[in-house]
Amino acid sequence: MNRLARKALLFAAGLLLLLFFTNNFGLIDIQKTAIVTAIGIDAAEGGRFDVTAQIAVPDASGADTAGNVTVRGTETVGGAVAELNRKTGWFPTLVHCSLILLGENIAKQDVFRALDYFLRSEYVEDSCLVALCEGSAADTLGANSPIGDLASAAIEKVLSAEAQKTGLVCVTNLRDFAKGYFSEGKSGFLPRLSPLQQAKSEGGSGQSVGGQEGGGGKAGGGENVFDASRTALFARGRQVALLETEETLAYNLAVSGTDMAYGDVRLQEGEEEVVYHLKMNIGKKSRRLRLQGGEPVLEFHIRARAQVVDASKAGTRTEIAETAIVPDAVLRAAEARFEEELRAAADKAHAGGCDLFALRQELHRFHPREYEALQGNLLDAVRIVCDIRFETMR
Amino acid sequence: MRKLNVRQICFWLAAVLPLSRLIVYPATLSYRAGGDLLWPALCNLLAEGAAIALLLLLARRTGRTFFGLLRARLGEGAARLAALLLALFLAAAAVLPLLEQRGFVLQILYENVPSFLSFAPLFALLLFACTQSLRALGRAMDVALPLSAVCFPVLLLLALPDADFAALLPLFGRGGKELAAAALHSLPWYTGAPCLLCLIGNFEYENGCAKKVLLAYAAGGAATLAFLAVFCGVFGDIAFLQHNALAQISKYATALTPLGRIDLLFIIALTLVLVIAVCVPVRLCVDCLENAFGGPRALHAALVCALLLGLTVLLDPAFREAQAMLSERMWPLFALFGYALPLLAALLLRERKGRTGIPPGVFAPPRRRRSAPPAVQAGGADRNGRTG
Repeated sequence: MNRLARKALLFAAGLLLLLFFTNNFGLIDIQKTAIVTAIGIDAAEGGRFDVTAQIAVPDASGADTAGNVTVRGTETVGGAVAELNRKTGWFPTLVHCSLILLGENIAKQDVFRALDYFLRSEYVEDSCLVALCEGSAADTLGANSPIGDLASAAIEKVLSAEAQKTGLVCVTNLRDFAKGYFSEGKSGFLPRLSPLQQAKSEGGSGQSVGGQEGGGGKAGGGENVFDASRTALFARGRQVALLETEETLAYNLAVSGTDMAYGDVRLQEGEEEVVYHLKMNIGKKSRRLRLQGGEPVLEFHIRARAQVVDASKAGTRTEIAETAIVPDAVLRAAEARFEEELRAAADKAHAGGCDLFALRQELHRFHPREYEALQGNLLDAVRIVCDIRFETMR
Repeated sequence: MRKLNVRQICFWLAAVLPLSRLIVYPATLSYRAGGDLLWPALCNLLAEGAAIALLLLLARRTGRTFFGLLRARLGEGAARLAALLLALFLAAAAVLPLLEQRGFVLQILYENVPSFLSFAPLFALLLFACTQSLRALGRAMDVALPLSAVCFPVLLLLALPDADFAALLPLFGRGGKELAAAALHSLPWYTGAPCLLCLIGNFEYENGCAKKVLLAYAAGGAATLAFLAVFCGVFGDIAFLQHNALAQISKYATALTPLGRIDLLFIIALTLVLVIAVCVPVRLCVDCLENAFGGPRALHAALVCALLLGLTVLLDPAFREAQAMLSERMWPLFALFGYALPLLAALLLRERKGRTGIPPGVFAPPRRRRSAPPAVQAGGADRNGRTG
């Protein structure tokens, strides 16, 4: 092969490689593609679904606006995505779908009837967040957000990794929820989202958060903020219990990736009940299932440091100066409160059949011989032992 | 045909070959072996490593190519028949990686639904690679090593925080039969030995060559096992749903949240290495055809690439069926060419050592020093790569 032909071949190979890595032969033009940022799924009559897609529509100025399209009464989520194409002429791409929002009603049945579509499709990332919402998902996605036109963007901020780190929310993505569902425990949890209507004040600049207004929506011209501090617990895909804010915090501090959090401790001082607002920093935490004479025992070992951030009573100058030093009684009260909330979370979960602490999985992995004998009654039989110690943060 | 450098063989085994096992193989293995996926993989790696060691022993004893040896031992007809059979095997062995890569590229690198034409340029690239000398392939290995050495550890490091290695427990949770079936059905991903069989005589055997090559293979094997462990740790019970494993493990890294999926940069770089990986069996298939029929190399290359393009188009809508056919029904073929053929080649030629029929020089001790002037062996390849 002469040199010219070789160079021509090399050039052609380079050009073809460039085409290989780009989408020059793409079937579907980007102009005809609907970029779906969130999907909302509600239960409809007869076991059907109402599927709402929040579609980002970039305008000429570069700002994103959102359009919500709902397909009602579909039998499958995949069918709804196909119908979305027929209705709008857009081919919906779910690569950018970063949120799947489930309506309250759908949690009464196995939610994986709807969610497994996202596991089947190679074009959907299972790193997207999953949450349950109060009321319908369509209304929640239609809520006005104070931070822009995309409600999904506001919800994603509430469900951010930072929120998880401070223990406010039990953030779950599709992969983790599916792992729990397909594991030995067949359990999982989702943050439960409540839209809180934020009324605009007359003066314009000041805003105040009102009470909980179920269903969200655009009523009253107000804007919505979202609270996700409660956690819905699932067993075999159905919601079986709901953890309150304090229980969610205790679970996060004991199990998930939360290292620093704020919480209240109430203490009777004389005749007055004083509330201490503490900053808690988790130093060490471990969780272990062991078998003690055939009895399953779940041990929590937690070491934390605390600091008084504020108190409901007026502090003396010395108390304010030594705010880092937490009185011993407050530390013991914090330990007791933590243990109480953790036990309450475990009791709620186990009563509903939700394996919140992945006990069956741990039994299967670390005690495979005893698994068959113990797994059936494990949640009822397990004894919880808490070794929680709080110290002053210096 | 110009010779390869031992370094390039090492790069191929350490940095290119393992990557071809990181697309569909981890999910398939996970489906069959669950959390015990490391054991069948380890068995396959050890078996392939043994086959490679045997081939290195053969390479140490001769400077000839495999077909040169067959020609000398069994005659022209047998050598041509063996070359044809090996060519057919290598073409079959290239089908699965091509289908895997097609799915990987179109699903991971494209946001829209791309047409098949998007992937077709790869076959033109394969044609180009097949018409070039072996040295060009060697240079591609030189390029592939730094890409792999940088990008692969980055992806692993991004995935590590999400990996729960307890998912690998309990050890031997699956039965021996299941693990054996998993190992046997994984054989289509272990085609390194037949490729190396075609390469013996095409690289200069030097002192310490076997040690270097086996160390490189061990490094590649360790990388494969590490990837499988992290993959299982990240996905646990849903690992078998993750078909494009190489692109999946790193996407949960929290560091990516503000930056977007920058891991795709590393994935794209590794896709380039995957292209080089698939060039190897295709290129060697063309070599085998040249040995079987002679004639213009470009014609063989065009025929092979057209055949593979046709097969890819034909099997494109039925990837699962094609994979099942290759791994569940055709695994004995892969065992035959992957393990039995190197064993037979090494034993047969060792057994006949010193007897009649082998021209002098075939088993000449090749303990040459690196600095020694290259010798032109009887019937072997000279410095310019012309084989006898």
